Amino acid sequence: MNAQMKPPVAPSASSPLDKEPALAHLAEPSTPNAAASDAMIEVRGLSKLYNGVAALSDVTLSVGKGEFVTLLGPSGSGKSTLLNLISGMTTPTAGKILINGTDATTLPTNQRGLGMVFQNYALMPHMTVFQNIAFPLQVRKIGKDEIRQRVMDVLKLIQLEHVADRRPRELSGGQQQRISLARCIVYNPPLILMDEPLGALDKKLREGMQLEIKRLHADLGVTMLYVTHDQDEALTMSDRIVLMRGGKIEQQGTPEALYFKPQTVFSADFIGSSNLFPGKLSKDKGGLMLRCAAGAFDVPAADGAFVAGSAAVLLVRPENIMVETPADASGRQQIAATLKDTVVLGGIVRHFLETPAGEQIIAQELNQPNRARLMRGDAVKVSWRVDDGRLLPAERA
Amino acid sequence: MTRPLRTAAVFFVPVVAWACYLFLLLPSVIVFPISFGTGGEFEFPPRAFSLELYRQFFTDAAWWGAMTQSLMIALMTALATTVLGLPAAYALQRASLPGAGLINGFIMGPLLVPVIVLGLGLYLQFAPWNLLNRDVSLFLSHTMLAVPFMMISVGASLRHLDPTLENAALIMGASKPAIFFKVVLPQLKAGIAAGALFAFLISFDEVIVAYFVTGPETQTLPVKMYSAMRWELSPVIAAASTLVTVFSILLAIGIMMLQRKEKQQ
Ligand SMILES: Nc1ncnc2c1ncn2[C@@H]1O[C@H](COP(=O)(O)OP(=O)(O)O)[C@@H](O)[C@H]1O
Ligand SMILES: [Mg+2]
Repeated sequence: MNAQMKPPVAPSASSPLDKEPALAHLAEPSTPNAAASDAMIEVRGLSKLYNGVAALSDVTLSVGKGEFVTLLGPSGSGKSTLLNLISGMTTPTAGKILINGTDATTLPTNQRGLGMVFQNYALMPHMTVFQNIAFPLQVRKIGKDEIRQRVMDVLKLIQLEHVADRRPRELSGGQQQRISLARCIVYNPPLILMDEPLGALDKKLREGMQLEIKRLHADLGVTMLYVTHDQDEALTMSDRIVLMRGGKIEQQGTPEALYFKPQTVFSADFIGSSNLFPGKLSKDKGGLMLRCAAGAFDVPAADGAFVAGSAAVLLVRPENIMVETPADASGRQQIAATLKDTVVLGGIVRHFLETPAGEQIIAQELNQPNRARLMRGDAVKVSWRVDDGRLLPAERA
Repeated sequence: MTRPLRTAAVFFVPVVAWACYLFLLLPSVIVFPISFGTGGEFEFPPRAFSLELYRQFFTDAAWWGAMTQSLMIALMTALATTVLGLPAAYALQRASLPGAGLINGFIMGPLLVPVIVLGLGLYLQFAPWNLLNRDVSLFLSHTMLAVPFMMISVGASLRHLDPTLENAALIMGASKPAIFFKVVLPQLKAGIAAGALFAFLISFDEVIVAYFVTGPETQTLPVKMYSAMRWELSPVIAAASTLVTVFSILLAIGIMMLQRKEKQQ
């Protein structure tokens, strides 16, 4: 049909369960930020305007072969726009898209050879489950016997062989989404795009499906570009997270990097919960101090961008704040606060505190059987290791 | 509203409504018993039950011929309407054509123009081309009248069709024709069938335009009925009316069932 699509796999090796030759090249381990030659997707200076308003502006991104990359961001940040530009459903206003090393910027959608999973499953209501999964194979003019074999193989892989003859609407949401995954992997696309695929499922089911998608990714070695607005989902599943904001990439990196080394207040705020102290840097005792409403804080060593006189924000994660100060208080920043509330979330305890200046602080610790109980209204001294804090540039207004 | 007023309303509104229904329905219903009269003249109530008028209808070539003419033109209109209206509705809904609103207005136009004006216009148009009293002019006129109904019927089905399905098929590698025939068409079946029945019914019932563009050889049943009323006042017309009414009701029920079936999907 076209040069982009992979040739049909030999019938004998058609099971996606086996590491067949057709999939072998995908199974190689790859490093994040892979060099251009092993990039599955290369996006350069990509922009999309709708009536003069940028849904995506000047995005450059590379996704390595076999990588699991998540586009994370609030609603309207351009995640779907980027995905649809890669699939070819929309045409870019400016920029270039390379898929598997070839320029696909103007390639018609049906020649890009991709797979896509949608939030609403997008299963054909007039076809049975079997016919739905067979559809992309029929499109590729594959023989009847091989189609039957491959469809049954993927159905076995997702453990839904028994629903082959049912209609999609007779299945639960979770089952429908697994069928739509099966329909995608049955033709071995080297790249699978997913736009909030678990958005319509309840929490319990979602967690199960996250693991299932991870397992398929590991087994098939396929490249996945996954869209979600759920930070937990992104942290659980991704090799790399690309955080989007207002049509631009705010920050990208491993889940750990985004959590522990956010570069902006937006990143810090979007991923995990955070205590943010906005203030002004000043020189003191040879080191930098941050003057904010709650007082003057020691700050961790930071790079040259932070100079005395500039505005900055100190980030301290709740789990790094202790409500009682340990005996050895050296290297710790201490401030007075009043306990407003304590919430016990099973294994975790979360304290909500307020400084005399009125700033809200959240502290989090692991629950212990004989934890000393604090009372609402207790005056306490909270503290954190200065090095656990992180200095961020002030948000541009 | 005060209480007694409301009670009065509850009582009177259905009464008035039924009175209106009966007023509208009776003239059609009254031909039923007349059609089973003994022939010769209109009689109500008929003195005896007989199928004489139906025998006359089916043996008189003028009546029977008009009936087959109507059926043939209606069938051709339904087919042409489907072939023209379906792709037009799909294109107008899915492809972002420049001037789509204008094209749509042009196709739906015949709905807005009084049929008598259309009839006159078509007559004046076909006359110099020597197409009056030909099947083709009737067929073209009826197709023009019926296409808007196909557009409405298919358009309604299309609005319920999730465009993600077509996008999904495209991403899976399907060609545009494959998407139309394997993804879109199967889901529009009920809407197309309803539109085709509508088209059939419109052509089968239509008298004004047909009166303008047909001649003695191409007379349809409604035109024949009309002229029979004016010139012969033959009671066979009661049998013809009954046949047309029953047939139309059956088609309307068919359309309703198709529309309900589609809603359930
Ligand atoms: N077809 C469209 N027409 C006009 N504006 C659009 C269209 N699609 C998306 N947008 C706008 O582009 C921005 C990004 O949208 P989208 O990529 O869907 O965000 P996300 O998927 O991150 O929620 C939004 O402000 C949205 O309103
Ligand atoms: Mg979206």
